[in-house]
Amino acid sequence: MKIALFIPCLVNHMQPNVGIATVELLEKLGHQVILPEGQTCCGQPMTNSGCFEDAKKTTLKLLNAFKGIDCDYIVCPAASCMIAAKENFHEFDCSPEATAVIGKLKELTEFLHDIHGLERFNKPFNHKVSLQMSCHGIRMLDLATPSEIKGSGGYNKVEALLSRIEGIDIAYPERRDECCGFGGTFALDEGAVSGKMGKDKAQAHANTGARYVVGFDPSCLLHLDGVIRREGHPVETLHIAELLNQAL
Amino acid sequence: MALIGGIESHASAAEKFNRDVDRVNWHDKALWNLRHKRDLAAESQPEWEDLKQLGSEYKLHTLANLKHYLTEFEANCKKNGIVVHWAKDGKEHNEIVHSILAKHNVKNLVKSKSMLTEECHLNPYLIERGIDVIDTDLGERIIQLNEQPPSHIVVPAIHLKKEEVGELFHRKIGSEKGASCPTYLTKQARAHLRQKFLEADAGLTGVNMAVASEGAVAIATNEGNADMGVNLPKVQIHCMGIDKIVPNMDAASVLSRTLARNATGQPITSYTTFYKGPKEGGEMHVVLVDNGRTKLFQDELLAEAYKCIRCGGCLNTCPVYRRSSGFSYNALIPGPIGIAVSAGDDETHSLAWACSLCGSCTQVCPTKVPLDKIIFKWRRIHSEQGKLPYGKNGYMPWVGKFMANETMLNLGMASARTALRILPDALMKPFGMDWTKHRELPKAPKTGSFEAWFKKNRENK
Repeated sequence: MKIALFIPCLVNHMQPNVGIATVELLEKLGHQVILPEGQTCCGQPMTNSGCFEDAKKTTLKLLNAFKGIDCDYIVCPAASCMIAAKENFHEFDCSPEATAVIGKLKELTEFLHDIHGLERFNKPFNHKVSLQMSCHGIRMLDLATPSEIKGSGGYNKVEALLSRIEGIDIAYPERRDECCGFGGTFALDEGAVSGKMGKDKAQAHANTGARYVVGFDPSCLLHLDGVIRREGHPVETLHIAELLNQAL
Repeated sequence: MALIGGIESHASAAEKFNRDVDRVNWHDKALWNLRHKRDLAAESQPEWEDLKQLGSEYKLHTLANLKHYLTEFEANCKKNGIVVHWAKDGKEHNEIVHSILAKHNVKNLVKSKSMLTEECHLNPYLIERGIDVIDTDLGERIIQLNEQPPSHIVVPAIHLKKEEVGELFHRKIGSEKGASCPTYLTKQARAHLRQKFLEADAGLTGVNMAVASEGAVAIATNEGNADMGVNLPKVQIHCMGIDKIVPNMDAASVLSRTLARNATGQPITSYTTFYKGPKEGGEMHVVLVDNGRTKLFQDELLAEAYKCIRCGGCLNTCPVYRRSSGFSYNALIPGPIGIAVSAGDDETHSLAWACSLCGSCTQVCPTKVPLDKIIFKWRRIHSEQGKLPYGKNGYMPWVGKFMANETMLNLGMASARTALRILPDALMKPFGMDWTKHRELPKAPKTGSFEAWFKKNRENK
């Protein structure tokens, strides 16, 4: 398939390794990867603060970067940016072109699980990993059944994908999908509570004895990485794209 | 009255609460324990999600046809011999209650289960007029003795440790000094309250549900105190927000199945009583209050906040509430539902930001109130009114311009990467301060941007 990448600003500038791993793994799976020009940010920092007018220009710039691009899907290795883009695009532009773009948006895990149907990996990953089930991915994107939902069986696309890798030992922190406390500008507006949430989450991950905290949301991982290093926990953050790329 | 009508921002109050780490951990654990019990209770119902869907539909249907059901409720109440009163706001509510009490020369009033009377500030109103008002729910009685508002809508004294309750009871009701055994303290409270029940001239309760088809009100308690308070004296008064109406017993039964399970993990509260008329020789009054509700009903999304059945489940699951306590909210009702119903009245404009938008509250809610969407909308409303907290009015337009300009963003981020590499502490603003108070700054990537990598390694090959 022909995949256009949606690389959020945070990944582009602070975690290029996540973008590189995404390109490499999609290519190993036989897809053609392109990077449409002119992407900056989805506007989430502004809309999350309520500032829709301030978000408009940024959001439309991103949307325009994808309009008319010939591709099967637009894949993003960041759940919260992907959802914010979807909602913000819809908020500011209801044209058929915008709707076509929105319809092609897929988060990386979602794409690999639902569309590509990734079943087989070539290399083992002999480590224990603690999964960071970030809020946007599970409660808004349905990557997994949130822990609040009961009595309906449940599913977990992240675990389903990773469990196909030989040697991997999957663990969850206590309170498996409690928010890590990043929340974009929440980390600055509510410093004390955000800091405490981050500390508790980092501790819960460390308590599993895992080598890596693995997640699909680079912003949660960036925040957790900062807390983990401050607290001196013997665990490292790893984006799911990097893990999957290593196993292919 | 800590912080009610106060002006401190949520973040500032929460920061103070967080200075005592042990207390934060204790508070967090106590509330998470309720969430855990709720999970077990919900899991025991294979049709749990269907119950939530039904509960949501019943409440939404009722709100959409409120006039019809309120009229039906009033007519059926009258048939049952109940006196129905209407109050447009808290002031009218208090006047109505006082007029009933004055007519019967009531000196001692026992109360149970009402956040609405807290909302209307009934207690101080009646006390000023010479009426002794006693809250009889154990938690409510504790905070009444401690001269505090509730810090939670279901477990109002959850912020106090048993040792603190022991000390309070020793000072106020003469229990043994240093006692902290919950059984002993409960017995002391029971003896103290029993005397109050016997002396009472009237009983007043809140309402969990008002059933239109029956002209009945339902009250759920674990201590049986509402029943004691209502059944002993001649006069009984039930005060309710107009959102508490449900169409019929089918709706009441669905909501009863989720209310206690979602609150404390109990299948149902120890006592769930439907009152359908006055006792022989007695009088039964129901006071229906608007107090700002119909104003929020004007907005389709905000109105959904009134599907809430006040189980408190969203407070227990909220990671922010658990780590900031009820008193950090500049509102009577704390937590996600508190933000949803009171962000419009918040003088600090910070309430809507006391949320990481994790969405756990929305998922836990037994009537599917879209709490995170409502909170998100309040932020937008504040923004449109130019009432943003934490300096956002000043810096957000700049962020907007910066993010929309590729050259500026690329240059800015390239210097940030360089600064992070060579001057580890240089990136203090805007990410400094609270960011670095709790975490290390991000590690600088060794390469340039991803875009530069892609251009070099893909497009030029």
